[in-house]
Amino acid sequence: MGTNRKGFTVSLLLTMSMLLAACGGNGNTKGTPDAGSTGEPGTGAEATAAAEPVKLEFWTIALQPTFNDYFNNLITQYEDSHPGVTVEWKDYPYDAISQRLLTSTASGKSPDVVNLNTEFASQLGSKGALLNLSEYLTDEQAKSYFEGIYNSTVFDGKAYALPWYTGTEVLFMNKKLVEKAGLDPANPPQTREELVEWARQVHEKTGAAGYAQQLVSKLFPIDGISILNEDKTAAAFNTPEAEAMITQMRDLMKEGVVLKEDADFSKQIQYFSGEQVAFQLSGPTFINFIKTSAPDVYKNTIAVPLPTGKANLRLSNSMNLVVPQKSKNPQQAVEFAAFLTNAENQTAFSKAANTLPSSKASIQDPFFTESDGSLEAEAKVASSQSLDKATDYMVGVPSAADINSALARGLQEILMNGADIKETLNKVEKEVNTIISQGS
Amino acid sequence: MYKGFRSESFTAWAFMAPGLLFLAVFTFWPIIYGIPLSLTDYSVITETNYVGLDNFTRAFQDHNFLISLWNSLVYVLIVPVIQIISILMAILVNSRIPGVKMFRAAYYIPVVTSMVAVALIWSWLLGNNGVVNYLLLKAGIISEQVSWLSTSSTALYVLMFITMWKGLGYYMMLYLAGLQGIPADLYEAARVDGAGPLRLIVHVTLPLLRPHILFCTLISVMGAIRVFDEVYILTKGGPGTSTLTSSVYIFQKGLEQFNFGYASALGLIVSVMVGALSVLVFRLNRKGGVNSY
Repeated sequence: MGTNRKGFTVSLLLTMSMLLAACGGNGNTKGTPDAGSTGEPGTGAEATAAAEPVKLEFWTIALQPTFNDYFNNLITQYEDSHPGVTVEWKDYPYDAISQRLLTSTASGKSPDVVNLNTEFASQLGSKGALLNLSEYLTDEQAKSYFEGIYNSTVFDGKAYALPWYTGTEVLFMNKKLVEKAGLDPANPPQTREELVEWARQVHEKTGAAGYAQQLVSKLFPIDGISILNEDKTAAAFNTPEAEAMITQMRDLMKEGVVLKEDADFSKQIQYFSGEQVAFQLSGPTFINFIKTSAPDVYKNTIAVPLPTGKANLRLSNSMNLVVPQKSKNPQQAVEFAAFLTNAENQTAFSKAANTLPSSKASIQDPFFTESDGSLEAEAKVASSQSLDKATDYMVGVPSAADINSALARGLQEILMNGADIKETLNKVEKEVNTIISQGS
Repeated sequence: MYKGFRSESFTAWAFMAPGLLFLAVFTFWPIIYGIPLSLTDYSVITETNYVGLDNFTRAFQDHNFLISLWNSLVYVLIVPVIQIISILMAILVNSRIPGVKMFRAAYYIPVVTSMVAVALIWSWLLGNNGVVNYLLLKAGIISEQVSWLSTSSTALYVLMFITMWKGLGYYMMLYLAGLQGIPADLYEAARVDGAGPLRLIVHVTLPLLRPHILFCTLISVMGAIRVFDEVYILTKGGPGTSTLTSSVYIFQKGLEQFNFGYASALGLIVSVMVGALSVLVFRLNRKGGVNSY
């Protein structure tokens, strides 16, 4: 059983092949967002009757079969008002859509209208892979959406996506723990400072922590700290304010007021379900998870508007419709996206899917102001009332994903590994500036 | 030539063809294609430009990549541990103790369990309020809860342990096959010469297992450097860069940030590194085994 050269060569080849063979799918999901809105079909851009038959390929994320009736009805409406245009609707799982889009783009077969979350839309938009919708939309259409959400995908004055359904974060409270700490859930905290005080009192009186959070780059903008400078040419987060924010976070973790953990969404669900924390800051999708994982805790939970940080904004998590640059029917594609995201259709979708709309006009509907007292309705009302302050904060440069991960790593180094704050901020600043200078 | 087609080798190639074709399309071609790709800034969605060796120079200045290489090398430390334990396990389950078959099956179960399931189970066990902390607190070994996967000093070692726990049964089975191929008369002869159990292992079992040790060490080294699933599921390389391994970093650069050109360059660098380590493993394990002549 001696070794031979051929065998050796083959194993080396295999070694390399195994290394380079691509591993599994794409993680990186963020719970389903909640609603958006946009322009109207045919407004501004007159409905274009196609000279030749046009087939639009429309992709969504995880909406079949639940909403088949809603979409088939809309598609029929659109096709009736646009003779010669047919829409082919395909639906993909959350994890698959980015890979599908990449592979179809690589093979030169681009879809025409695609449903993407803001992070991916801004990433593709900033790399020039999406159609600049500003050239197609009227002012009136552009202004029909909540500015914060619409502007999340505007770079250099070019709009790369139409906001669709969205969700803003609310504050979920474990009523039992809050009352046990001698606090009144009827007068919830309004600011981050008040929330911290509440969390401290909960920790002192009940032993539970206040809340768990994920250490991600958005913690900076929540506190009014810009990640990049105005013209996006350099890092701007290395400030005394950032130091103060991180110092406070570190102290709160030491005290046990905030869990010393980089807790992703699934861990946050575990902690809230196990009553190890009294508060949860997230979108309404959280409700379904605790409903199944901890029915007793669900019964004891109330939802209130999220206390804002220094920046006085609430982060939303939106879905958008984009038109890839390589779409062969850009005019019809934009019209279809605008039709799907107009106020009327967004309101209808919100009712069907229990999401929030991104169109200003939709929010006037009683559906968003009346509550039957259930946790779902409370969360809906609380979050819809904060849409005017909502924004999907995006760095908005081609290398955004790199920058976000550098910041997240820096926060983890400081808060989990005990690294020096100033030193780490300097290091991450240098890294971010390098990333920007490399530009991809 | 024509005669050759009718020969045994033709039959062998015919049997291997489907597998080779599959490998050619999904393995060899991507590797070869990765080489020109590593000289570009390919990202699928934007114009592709030739950048020469920029990706490689960038790689060696990329602090995170260097850390990921270091972590991958640290990960290789589990290889000898896995081999030693799995050889001992194989020797144990090779004995004629009653109920030994049950142990063989039990040790092998983690191998056939999906890594996602294994990772999730361990994430619960190792959680702040998990069983591990509970038992260690009860036993007085630790005085307060430890966030095993969120603490930089423990996270990488915990991941290594999980990798080891899942892989042991696999290597044990390979060694068991090797043990059963060792002629019994060699042991008899050694016993006649007065060798005790330990001497039998050192002077008979281990030398004759060398080809198996070589094979297992090689795939174990490759596995350790390529480790992805458990790291990605449990820590995504965090906290900070404590558990960032080369595969996870390459995945992030390519499939999350669309820097496929750069990710290809990183992949090639890691491939060369694995190649070098493989040569080293071969050099260290040249002799031994049962020769059939």
